[in-house]
Amino acid sequence: MATLKEKRTCGQRCEDFGHFVWNSDNGTLMGRTPEKWVYISLYYVAFYVVMTGLFSLAIWVLMYTLCPYAPDYQDRLKSPGVMVWPDTYGEEDVEITYNTSDKASWMKMANILHSFLKPYNDTMQTECNRYNCTQGKYFIQNTFSAPHHTKWACPFKQSMLGQCSGLEDPTFGYNSTMPCVIIKMNRIINFLPSNHTNHPPYVNCTILEGQNNVDKIEYFPERGIMDLSYFPYYGKLAQPTYANPLVAVRFNLVREKQAKIQCRAVSDKISYENIHDPYEGKVVFYLKAVK
Amino acid sequence: MSKKDTYDMFEMNGETDKKKKKMKKKEKLEGMKKEMDIDDHEITIEELEMRYNTSVTKGLTTTFACQILERDGPNELKPPKGTPEYVKFARQLAGGLQCLMWVAAVICFIAFGIELARGNLTSFDNLYLAITLIAVVVVTGCFGYYQEFKSTNIIASFKNLVPQQATVIRDGQKNQINANQLVVGDLVEIKGGDRVPADIRIITAQSCKVDNSSLTGESEPQTRTPEYTHESPLETRNVAFFSTTCLEGTSYATHTNINISLIQEQCFSHCILCSPGIATGMIINTGDRTIIGRIASLASGVGNEKTPIAIEIEHFVDIIAGLAIFFGFTFFVVAMFIGYAFLEAMIFFMAIVVAYVPEGLLATVTVCLSLTAKRLARKNCVVKNLEAVETLGSTSVICSDKTGTLTQNRMTVAHLWFDNYIHAADTTEDQSGQSFDQSSETWRFLGRVAALCNRATFRPDQEGVPIPKRLVVGDASETALLKFTELTIGNIPDYRNRFKKLVEVPFNSTNKFQLSIHELEDPLDLRYLLVMKGAPERILERCSTILIKGQELPLDDQWKESFQTAYMDLGGLGERVLGFCHLYLNEKEYPRGFRFDADEMNFTTSGLCFAGLISMIDPPRATVPDAVMKCRTAGIRVIMVTGDHPITARAIAANVGIISEGSETVEDIAQRKRIPVEQVNKREARACVISGGQLKDMSSDDLDEALRNHPEMVFARTSPQQKLIIVESCQRLGSIVAVTGDGVNDSPALKKADIGVAMGIAGSDAAKNAADMILLDDNFASIVTGVEQGRLIFDNLKKSIAYTLTKNIPELTPYLIYITVSVPLPLGCITILFIELATDIFPSVSLAYEKAESDIMHLKPRNPRRDRLVNEALAVYSYFQIGAIQSFAGFTDYFTAMAQEGWFPLLCVGLRSQWEDVHLQDLQDSYGQEWTFSQRLYQEYTCYTVFFVSIEICQISDVLIRKTRRLSVFQQGFFRNRVLVSAIVFQLCLGNLLCYCPGMPNIFNFMPIRVQWWFVPVPYGILIFVYDEIRKLGVRRYPGSWWDQELYY
Repeated sequence: MATLKEKRTCGQRCEDFGHFVWNSDNGTLMGRTPEKWVYISLYYVAFYVVMTGLFSLAIWVLMYTLCPYAPDYQDRLKSPGVMVWPDTYGEEDVEITYNTSDKASWMKMANILHSFLKPYNDTMQTECNRYNCTQGKYFIQNTFSAPHHTKWACPFKQSMLGQCSGLEDPTFGYNSTMPCVIIKMNRIINFLPSNHTNHPPYVNCTILEGQNNVDKIEYFPERGIMDLSYFPYYGKLAQPTYANPLVAVRFNLVREKQAKIQCRAVSDKISYENIHDPYEGKVVFYLKAVK
Repeated sequence: MSKKDTYDMFEMNGETDKKKKKMKKKEKLEGMKKEMDIDDHEITIEELEMRYNTSVTKGLTTTFACQILERDGPNELKPPKGTPEYVKFARQLAGGLQCLMWVAAVICFIAFGIELARGNLTSFDNLYLAITLIAVVVVTGCFGYYQEFKSTNIIASFKNLVPQQATVIRDGQKNQINANQLVVGDLVEIKGGDRVPADIRIITAQSCKVDNSSLTGESEPQTRTPEYTHESPLETRNVAFFSTTCLEGTSYATHTNINISLIQEQCFSHCILCSPGIATGMIINTGDRTIIGRIASLASGVGNEKTPIAIEIEHFVDIIAGLAIFFGFTFFVVAMFIGYAFLEAMIFFMAIVVAYVPEGLLATVTVCLSLTAKRLARKNCVVKNLEAVETLGSTSVICSDKTGTLTQNRMTVAHLWFDNYIHAADTTEDQSGQSFDQSSETWRFLGRVAALCNRATFRPDQEGVPIPKRLVVGDASETALLKFTELTIGNIPDYRNRFKKLVEVPFNSTNKFQLSIHELEDPLDLRYLLVMKGAPERILERCSTILIKGQELPLDDQWKESFQTAYMDLGGLGERVLGFCHLYLNEKEYPRGFRFDADEMNFTTSGLCFAGLISMIDPPRATVPDAVMKCRTAGIRVIMVTGDHPITARAIAANVGIISEGSETVEDIAQRKRIPVEQVNKREARACVISGGQLKDMSSDDLDEALRNHPEMVFARTSPQQKLIIVESCQRLGSIVAVTGDGVNDSPALKKADIGVAMGIAGSDAAKNAADMILLDDNFASIVTGVEQGRLIFDNLKKSIAYTLTKNIPELTPYLIYITVSVPLPLGCITILFIELATDIFPSVSLAYEKAESDIMHLKPRNPRRDRLVNEALAVYSYFQIGAIQSFAGFTDYFTAMAQEGWFPLLCVGLRSQWEDVHLQDLQDSYGQEWTFSQRLYQEYTCYTVFFVSIEICQISDVLIRKTRRLSVFQQGFFRNRVLVSAIVFQLCLGNLLCYCPGMPNIFNFMPIRVQWWFVPVPYGILIFVYDEIRKLGVRRYPGSWWDQELYY
């Protein structure tokens, strides 16, 4: 033990380390002879090549077993999320704040909505979704009847948003106190929002704070309905041209011109009370117009 | 204590630098001498009376004594300054691993601070991690502290609770008071068998002798008289020292090889009834100022050495820290290269370094060690310091006491010589051995002499107690004879009653015999029987006939010759030999009613009839030869260090196998070859007996040389100080030394030893304080059990550490991949903590219950410089092979869970920034579905859980492969280690609980995952198992090959 305890100076330690790096007595470099280093390196190369091979094989088998049209499980997607546009965030929450007298400010909002609505351009929609859907009914497709082995998707045109479509008023009301917001419900494969075909899901906005500051709430399309023919969604591969149904809501801000609003997609299969996911089935946002 | 001894005592402080050493020694010696410079023994009694305000007739006055007591404190050795409790606790928090964890915690705090400063309020992981790290250190610290506390308590319970009494004269009155109340100037009375209560100046003495062996190791009793004989207080006869034993003036000196220390040790309990040598004396020093107190305080001067396991763990921490910094730095550079900001890269660096800290290892090591400590405690070894458990396993030399440790510490009849033949008696502790042939007529007579010529008696009320264990009043030899005759003849009190004793002449050192005269059993036979025992040669002188097969034959030269041979033979065995003879006194010369006079000796004491010889020895414990043999096969040298006579020491050494059969000493060879001792090649002699006297004249180099040359060493007649020199010499030769000891003077050696073993029964408090381990049964065999357990725990700790280290890699790689490839984080921080501190603790501890793979007691002790606890092979194999496979398993499962929920592997790559964007509520997966942030977050938790499950499954496989390092698991037995099996079940249950208990997702980020994801890593588990079996096969098949070198850990 005494041999173990001898106190060594830094110099000796360095020397020891030097000896470890290159030991001329038995020709070892970092504890191994160069030849041994080659062997051990080859062994590790082989080991990792084999392991990577096995891993790749495992991933390949995994991909092979996956269905390309729909995921095996949708454990996290029991109920769709809902989001509002313009999606401008404050500290934590969505805060749609604009200045009616500052063009840059309201143009920013309008631009967000314009770019958001680009895929919904009427001509584009008519072009890629040529199918004439039957309203008020789930559009169930069991076969790939559309060209290129796909399924049809119903067109949702920008114009269906009426006064909030941005076609008539490209400012979406942001130059005034009647701003439009667009509510989108996330798409989930094979999700049917309701068991009852006569009750299509619709968007309902309520004022949480500042009830007096909102005079009127208008929905586009009518009653904020998302038509059943947009459901179910069959996935990116089956419906490459699918467009989420949108609902635009126009608020008439008065007095202090600010409010905390909750817009909810109402349907019996859309839950909205998950405290851990504030965006499930509803979206809460602050709307504020400054002069 | 001779000057030489004082000199020796300081050699332990020796530095390698000779000049320095000499200087130091001189200084110290000078210091010591000054301390010893008392003249209380030189001055006259009158002066002494003046000095201490006392009187040799009346003693002190009680009030004055109280004042002095207040001034000087009680007369007891202060226990060595105990470490304060908070220091003990702090020490638990400052080990190698603990430091690593402290550093990691600090890094975590820094990282948290940086995150906070950057306004990232969501990430509290670092804070949790830091708190957990600190909690782990503190909790395990408390655990270790509690363990230590408990064993300290066990030791404390051994302290002698009955206070020593002393007879003191105060105010002219004789009083019995507790010895610790004595003060300087007190007049005390001591009688034979008493322990001297303080350092005293003798004033009156009647045949008073003291046993100074505990001070000087000198085992000859020394006379104490009031005369001043020497200027040194240590040499003069008129001073008796604290804690030495006062002996009666008489003792057998029957043989030149007489084992005096044995008599003394035995006498200690029996002497009270012997005619006491009485002495009175005046106390000149009390408590710590006594000589023994000064020696005891020396023990604290010997520094505490680091235990081998502490060194191993430091080495291991070096490896871990090195790897952590290497990895951290590499990925820091990579992160910078990829384009992360400096601060972000810095956080990565910290996270990686922290991730390398094996949080669970500390707990594992502590628990493993304390489990073994518990196991040892059941086998009568109490370990004071947990780390000492392992030290015992690395022991390569045991320096053992003889008396009480190797031997039974009771004189027992070993051999008898009658009918011209040496008969062996049964010396086993439980009388399970063979007895000798008792049919001979001679034995009847010999037995009768032994039974009658004996003053020892059993204490009353001991019917239920086995004979060897009964308490006896009488000295050691007589006790041995009494027990022996009780066993062979039976009911000795009754037997003695039948032979009515008329007169008795007790033993004295001039005539060296003891005799008694009895009436005969047969009332019609009117002769008297004279029985005598004593030193054989003296007895023989008085004999004219000898009993052979019951016949009285004339004692001619031929018989004398055979007597001499037998006497020499028995003496050579280190045994104490007594001769026995008897005589039927002539009816006419000594008619009934003859008045025998013991003082006048008005009867014949010659022309007796020689009956035989009986020899006695303190026999070795039954388990010791086996234990010594075990040590031998285990490559551990057993060195006997005793105060006994060399011949006795050698005989016992040969008996227990310390000197093996056929081994010769230099003297033996010289005798065999008939050449002078100097001409013998020392290397030829395996055995060597060195006496304390010889040792004094040896330089330390000589001693090293002797220890190197002779594998079988016995040190006889050594002083406790010399023990220290022997220990140091062994340590110089690179051995890890265990030392047994019981006396106060052993404490420096016990402290100096790598592991000091104190005796629970015979040991003094000072020895117990200095020791690391305590043998509750004083049995040498317990040490061997300890060694076995120590070795086992070293092997098993290796396995535990390998197991614990492995999962470090699958815990780290997710983070590395997260940084470099920007996939969603596969494994979270809290999950890692659960693996480290919850699910994997029990399995890693269960490896401590693993049986040894091979007979570990057939291997050499580990070389502390080469056989490391954690070596490169272990780390590399665990990290880069098994750990790598586990990582692959984890990622396979991760990608499976992601893909089956809609996120294909290729999409995952580079997804990180979008995935973690709190403001993005409609991120599209591979199927076009849109996910909110929370949905993604719970998916991430699912990944954590899946990765966790993969690690768990692989760790089950890992714990199975770690059961063995060389053997196949099938050879070791899958289910032999029940604890391990239950640990696996526990691990799975806990894993399931974490996954499926409601509420887990939001508390600990565990999600109820799909059942099939538990099975994804199973093939990898099988792969680990098969791969390791192949490794072990290669290691077994081709020992020494490249494969063995690289892959055996």
